[in-house]
Amino acid sequence: MPVGATGISTQQVEEDKLVVSIGPQHPGAGHFRFTITVEGDMIVDVLPDPGYVHRGAEKQTEYRNYTQSIPLLERSSLTDVTNIIGPYSLAAEELMGIEIPPRAQYLRMIMSENQRIISHLYWLGIQAIFLGHSTMFMWPLGDRDLLIDLGEMIGGARITYSYWIPGGVRNDIPGNFKERALKTYDYFEKRLVDYERIFFENPLFLKRTQGVGVLKREEAIRFGVVGPVLRASDVKSDTRLDEPYCLYKDVNFEVPVYKECDTWARCMVHLFEMRQSIRIIRQILEKIPSGSVRVKLSPQQRTRPGEAYARVEASRGAMAFHIISDGGTKPYRTKISVPSFRNLIVLKKLLIGSHVADMPAIYWSLDYWPVEADR
Amino acid sequence: MSIVTGTFRALAAALKQLPKKRMTLRYPETQLEMPGYYTYDPKLGVAKPGYKGRHILWLDKCTGCQLCSIACENISQAIEMVKVNRAQPNNKKSIFPQVDYAKCVFCGFCVDACPFYALGMTDDFNLVAYTKKELVYSPEKLAVPPKVTRPKVKVKFEKDVAFHE
Repeated sequence: MPVGATGISTQQVEEDKLVVSIGPQHPGAGHFRFTITVEGDMIVDVLPDPGYVHRGAEKQTEYRNYTQSIPLLERSSLTDVTNIIGPYSLAAEELMGIEIPPRAQYLRMIMSENQRIISHLYWLGIQAIFLGHSTMFMWPLGDRDLLIDLGEMIGGARITYSYWIPGGVRNDIPGNFKERALKTYDYFEKRLVDYERIFFENPLFLKRTQGVGVLKREEAIRFGVVGPVLRASDVKSDTRLDEPYCLYKDVNFEVPVYKECDTWARCMVHLFEMRQSIRIIRQILEKIPSGSVRVKLSPQQRTRPGEAYARVEASRGAMAFHIISDGGTKPYRTKISVPSFRNLIVLKKLLIGSHVADMPAIYWSLDYWPVEADR
Repeated sequence: MSIVTGTFRALAAALKQLPKKRMTLRYPETQLEMPGYYTYDPKLGVAKPGYKGRHILWLDKCTGCQLCSIACENISQAIEMVKVNRAQPNNKKSIFPQVDYAKCVFCGFCVDACPFYALGMTDDFNLVAYTKKELVYSPEKLAVPPKVTRPKVKVKFEKDVAFHE
């Protein structure tokens, strides 16, 4: 089995078929391995092999009380920390039977939407470098820092805020937040126009993505994909719209739907959603009411025995938690349904029959995050 | 749009950036201005927004109740109560928290657990050390407010440029 300088090992299986192993330390793939069988330039078989970063987050929540699980769960999805805590807090609150004040709900939405842009920018940077566009790798990751600064103003950390907690949010926003946020988003919207010019309207990008990795509407529904992948396949589905949590029914936003169903459409959904997130935050900053932001809970808060299920729209799709409680201070069982894992199933469908060169573009357009998928 | 115009538009968008100020923060020479300390008000039950960096311990307020240590128990077990040679009427056992920054995840739930306004988190994030032992901060070390000597910069926005100055 010869090992190349790139660390990718190959194996000759038949006369003209070659097995190529990608990962688990592939730059960009994360801790995820998949094996592709190629015949010439075409991919004939794919074998995804997730599970390298499984750390038993579901089991570990059984040994921690409802607050102590938060720093642990956040680390499953570092680009999307607010949204992975969201359903957990909502489900725990349902079990505790507490009402969250409206200001806290709006603050959660601000953080959640800001996090969505941060996650999408990270995705954009990696997608661009996969397509060989290094400028588009530098720009989003630079501008992402300004949005992280906003998160830092509220959450007090750059990545892991631990901001949503059962009972509301940790703290109020600082006084100068609105001014700074509006300045940042004004700047960022101008940058998005630059992004379009240099990347999204770039003929190279169009050639590499249009008609590549087509996932038809019926197939998308049958495979049960979620989030941007589903919306790019012409299905109008968004948890914020279908079953509004927090106060999403009070804000106006559009859900992007594309009829092209290819990698290009999946990329455009991300761009569209960033603009919509800014639109939501602008509306919230206009009408956020004053009031308390946190319901005081006891350190060892007990819940009612029973079950609770909560779902939010994370940046990669619907993220859901199902908590079963026996009335104690800790969950009896937690089930996490993550969007990454649900989108992984189509990798096999999309890659078979495509060119090897299209593999990175298709793979990353699914926005697969191995740590989140393995939990 | 044809390939030629598309390519030129992309190039023009890149060329437009040339005269702009660069956004990069030159970290070891300068550092970003931080939002201040993260503290918690147990009466209101809400924290004050701030940066969750290295802890600060107000020794005279600490009663040695161990609630911070208990809060950390299932998170990272970074806080250990240690004996300090210090006569303090509200702290009969003379035990104070000691934080191991090799373990701490900076979630700030220990601050939220303190009912006596004794623990907070500073905006100091420069915690590099050569050995793991240096990362264990004793109560006396935690009581000293951090000092940053390097110049602090802010993000500034001008029309369509963002830069650190």
